[in-house]
Amino acid sequence: MDLLDGISQGFAVALDPINILYVFLGVLIGTVIGVLPGLGPTATIALLLPLTYEIEPSSAVILLAGIYYGSMYGGTITSVLLRLPGEAASVVTTFDGYQMAKQGRAGPALGIAAIGSFAGGILSVIGLILLAPPLAKLAVSFGPPEYVALAGLGILLVTYLGTGSALKSLSMAALGLLLSTVGQDPIAGTTRFTFGQVALYDGLDFVAVAMGLFGVGEILYNLENTEKVRAIKGKIANIWPSGKDLRDSSGAIVRGSVLGFLIGVLPGGGGVVSSLASYALEKRRAKDPSRFGKGAIEGVAGPETANNASSTSAFVPLLTLGIPANVVMALIFGALLIQGITPGPRLIQEHPDVFWGVIASMFIGNLMLLALNIPLVGVFVQILRVRAGILAAFALLITMAGVFSINNDITDMWVVLGFGALGWLMKKTGFEPGPLVLAFVLGPILERAFRQSMLLSGGDLGIFVSRPLSGGIVAAMALIIVFSAVASRRRRRMLGRVTAPVTDTADGDDPAPDPAARAASRGSTSGES
Amino acid sequence: MNRLRLWATALILGLLVVSCGQRSSSDPAAYPQNQIRLIVPYVAGGPTDIAARSLGRFMQQRLGQTVVVENEPGASGSTAYKHLISAKPDGYTLSMSALPTAVLNYLINDVGYTRASFAPVGVITQVPSALVVPASSPYPDLAALFADARANPGKVTVATPGSTNTHASETRRATKLYGVPLTVLPFNGNPEVLTALLGGNTVAGFVNVSQDMLPAIESGDLRVLAVGTAARLPYLDAPTFVEQGFPELTQSTTTFGVIAPAGTPEPVIKKLEEVMRAASADPEVVRALDARYVPKQFVGSTELAGLFERTEQTFRGIAGG
Repeated sequence: MDLLDGISQGFAVALDPINILYVFLGVLIGTVIGVLPGLGPTATIALLLPLTYEIEPSSAVILLAGIYYGSMYGGTITSVLLRLPGEAASVVTTFDGYQMAKQGRAGPALGIAAIGSFAGGILSVIGLILLAPPLAKLAVSFGPPEYVALAGLGILLVTYLGTGSALKSLSMAALGLLLSTVGQDPIAGTTRFTFGQVALYDGLDFVAVAMGLFGVGEILYNLENTEKVRAIKGKIANIWPSGKDLRDSSGAIVRGSVLGFLIGVLPGGGGVVSSLASYALEKRRAKDPSRFGKGAIEGVAGPETANNASSTSAFVPLLTLGIPANVVMALIFGALLIQGITPGPRLIQEHPDVFWGVIASMFIGNLMLLALNIPLVGVFVQILRVRAGILAAFALLITMAGVFSINNDITDMWVVLGFGALGWLMKKTGFEPGPLVLAFVLGPILERAFRQSMLLSGGDLGIFVSRPLSGGIVAAMALIIVFSAVASRRRRRMLGRVTAPVTDTADGDDPAPDPAARAASRGSTSGES
Repeated sequence: MNRLRLWATALILGLLVVSCGQRSSSDPAAYPQNQIRLIVPYVAGGPTDIAARSLGRFMQQRLGQTVVVENEPGASGSTAYKHLISAKPDGYTLSMSALPTAVLNYLINDVGYTRASFAPVGVITQVPSALVVPASSPYPDLAALFADARANPGKVTVATPGSTNTHASETRRATKLYGVPLTVLPFNGNPEVLTALLGGNTVAGFVNVSQDMLPAIESGDLRVLAVGTAARLPYLDAPTFVEQGFPELTQSTTTFGVIAPAGTPEPVIKKLEEVMRAASADPEVVRALDARYVPKQFVGSTELAGLFERTEQTFRGIAGG
């Protein structure tokens, strides 16, 4: 009964014409900044924060939350069309999304991302209503050892991503971990690999690294063979996902929603790990994993759904415990504090209009985003008709400006160019940037949590297996390793027996299970050592 | 074509006006004649940024010149401080600063500045710190916690919001001065420390009692064992370290102030100091900054310089551990 009362009160707040306007403004601004590389929700919300002092608290949060999940929709567009991931969670989308765009299927990719994001958002809101308090408790009990296990699992999953050689994926992941150690030591505070440059004290900026490796690297690579790759199609035929596309991705959307919701509750790193886990899960489940990385629609649908579901469940710790799970949540926390409202366990009782109003507005906001994005897909895919030379120059310009705007620091622009050159070299030599970038994101989480765990246990490695939660994740990793090792051996034996003469299929199929097995042994060492 | 030429002429004229303006602005008596840059060494939307923006609005009204607030986050403020000292010392480039972090930075790493690089202007807010434990903690008071730490070295972990900040350094001072074995457990910001405390993943935490931590204390989720000020705080019912026999542990308060590059003319500093003194008495500004954190007695240029010096003496040889 309470629940129904709450929901009806929430819709009463959210359907107020003023609030409908604010949620619309929020998701519109969010979509636009999501499209512009480099300009993220954090900067936008920070700039708009002073404007919210004068409006109702519930309206303020409705607006800011709209910007946040709206930007998750928008971020997909550049990842698919230009291979420019603006934030960590959309890195995974570039793998199959960009391949789909190159095959002239940008429309279905963007369409399914919008539909998946909608489903993920709505399912996550329902989860938020039903499960917020118990989940918040679980999230808080996540301590350093659990984060070590989680980051270890993430790195294990990273190695599922590659389409090429396992050795290459692993060496890129190792390079990513190494690059993530640039900057201040998280425990001692002294600097490492900074060569006396104050600009490097905080390490390399994620956006600069990702944009350089993916976007600029791709632009440079395409400059060499413009004519072939970006031949402009007379007409972009299919803008909508077909019935088959929808059938293919429905499972991925449901699984992505659940994964994204559960992992997104965890403070820090939730978004990346959830889209990563969804991608790995879909690839594992697929009958033919070799399609992944070559334009598999499930590879877009799953992670995009998970990404949006996790951005909604990130509100769980904020609204129920007063703990912001990421920088954007911290800004919304600040906005509420200024209004004299303290997010925390008593928020639901003391300010039900804020709690339920925001949740109800998420339903409306997600509907608006779907209505906004479906027609826009047709507009955005026209970008691909622009001549490659012009598009590349324009993308580069926006990238440079966007990267500069993050810290107002010229160093980041050099980092983009440096990593752009590296990305071009990697592409030419068959190394993939995905494992590098994702390991780069997970590295600092792994390092800090590992060293905190050692401080907590006085140097005893047993801490990772003796605690139920981290022990459980470590056990799950061990299971994945054993399972994939057995599966790969069986598959190889079957291939050897049945299709021995057809070496082509064996070649195409072999690398997929193999990296898994090798990755697995590595993942376990990073979890336990 | 004609229009293009017109634009070009306008542009050149504009540049001339700007450059003339800059030349005449070097006369300290006529300060300010140009817009003033106020650098914030932290991200937009944080407490320092909010403080800077309300101070900036006030300065703009008083001085009749635009005050542009710019965020240059990074390296615990070092990025901003380096930009500050590379600017001309004419009062048109100022920066917010946080003590003791600004001093700890150069004590721990070679960041390219020392306190001699700055000309302090004044203090805007002071946020005290407290040693807290979760409600379920078995330690009723500071004596019990420290006794257990002495009996079982390595057992008592103190979560801090950073590795080079006040709280980590003050915890190390407690170990060094009073022989209490405490393990510093650095996290990234107050929210992470709060999570660790509520989840039982650290024995204690040492944090600023800023607006984001007070709710957990007021609701009883956290218990304050000691506050790090010389006298008790009116808004927290808890004893000080001093009362409990640790008279040296009073250095953990964070002082937010405004600094200029060294060599800024004395009249300019005086003028800015007066504006800040007026700001700290203005009800609108005080409300925006939160009255709890605005010093009752304005702390000006000379006192802030003294605080820089004392902070350096206190933490030399302790920070970084």
